[in-house]
Amino acid sequence: MIASVFWLACTVAVYLLSKRLYRRFPRICLTPLIVTPAILIVAILVLDVPYDTYEGGAGFLSDLVAPATIALAVTLYKHISEMKRDAFAIVISVGLGAVAAIVTTIALSRLFGLQASIVDSLAPRSATTPIAMSISSRIGGLPTITAVATLVTGVMSMVMGPLVVKAFRIRSPLARGVLFGTSSHSSGVSKALEYGASTGSIAAVAMMVTAFVTLTFAPWIASWFQ
Amino acid sequence: MRVKVLFATVAQVIFFILLSQGADAVVRWLNLPIPGTILGILVLFALLELKVIRLDWIELGSKWLLAEMLLFFIPATVGIINYKSLVVHQGLSIALVILLSTLAVMLCAGLTGQWLSARQGEGGGRS
Repeated sequence: MIASVFWLACTVAVYLLSKRLYRRFPRICLTPLIVTPAILIVAILVLDVPYDTYEGGAGFLSDLVAPATIALAVTLYKHISEMKRDAFAIVISVGLGAVAAIVTTIALSRLFGLQASIVDSLAPRSATTPIAMSISSRIGGLPTITAVATLVTGVMSMVMGPLVVKAFRIRSPLARGVLFGTSSHSSGVSKALEYGASTGSIAAVAMMVTAFVTLTFAPWIASWFQ
Repeated sequence: MRVKVLFATVAQVIFFILLSQGADAVVRWLNLPIPGTILGILVLFALLELKVIRLDWIELGSKWLLAEMLLFFIPATVGIINYKSLVVHQGLSIALVILLSTLAVMLCAGLTGQWLSARQGEGGGRS
């Protein structure tokens, strides 16, 4: 009981502190996406605490994942006008991108000889984390691996995205928005916002469309490769 | 004033929790092939569009939930400690898969978007 409360409090405290740290030193290697889990993992390993003890307390936070996912309806509602204006271009480019995410992930994982459960865990990782995790468990993946893979995708895209935008001279807000929103969910949306509000809105819409496309196609595409 | 905002936020977060449990119950009851969260998103979006629910009734709660989303995933992410040997033996391959695939997605979505918006631009649409 005490251990549970301790780990819950610890998780919240580390999270709040790493957010502060990032506000002070906004460098990608110090993003709370990396720092928070890293500190907690080191603490758990050093103190030799079983994961179940940790999960017994901090797992309470996981219960808020589903309500937070439903809050994405508000994101969709606020940005739907962007969608209505450019529906065709958004749906086509996001659709191609989201399908490319699933196909390239499965093909590359196969090429590198990863086992089936890992392939299924990686396949939905371009979708927003909660949806990626629920797709993963539906197609035979491990939600924890998906959570980590989704996070890694987010961090990588924050580094790579601006380089791709520059190298390929991607200029329109629509193209930049779909690039970030399709490849890397909410991390992409926050990066896209740095290019302007309209790019951010397109990215938010792209994130939602990616979630729906991945939900529809991932189980189907995964079954081709079996 | 701040107390009022706090109470409103808590009440709205409770609304989202109840909605999510309701959606899960309906999915289980009707055996729907979609996750409860997706049903929840669709229902809430429809209620907002139909003006049954006003945005300001739920905006504070949704803002808080979305802003702190990362916190809710921390326990799942920390769960990777159960997969030490996977990380040691296949971590590099997995990272490479993610890197190459993310690059492919960016090019696919970004270049298609660029091409389609350029075409629309020629037709007199917005740039």
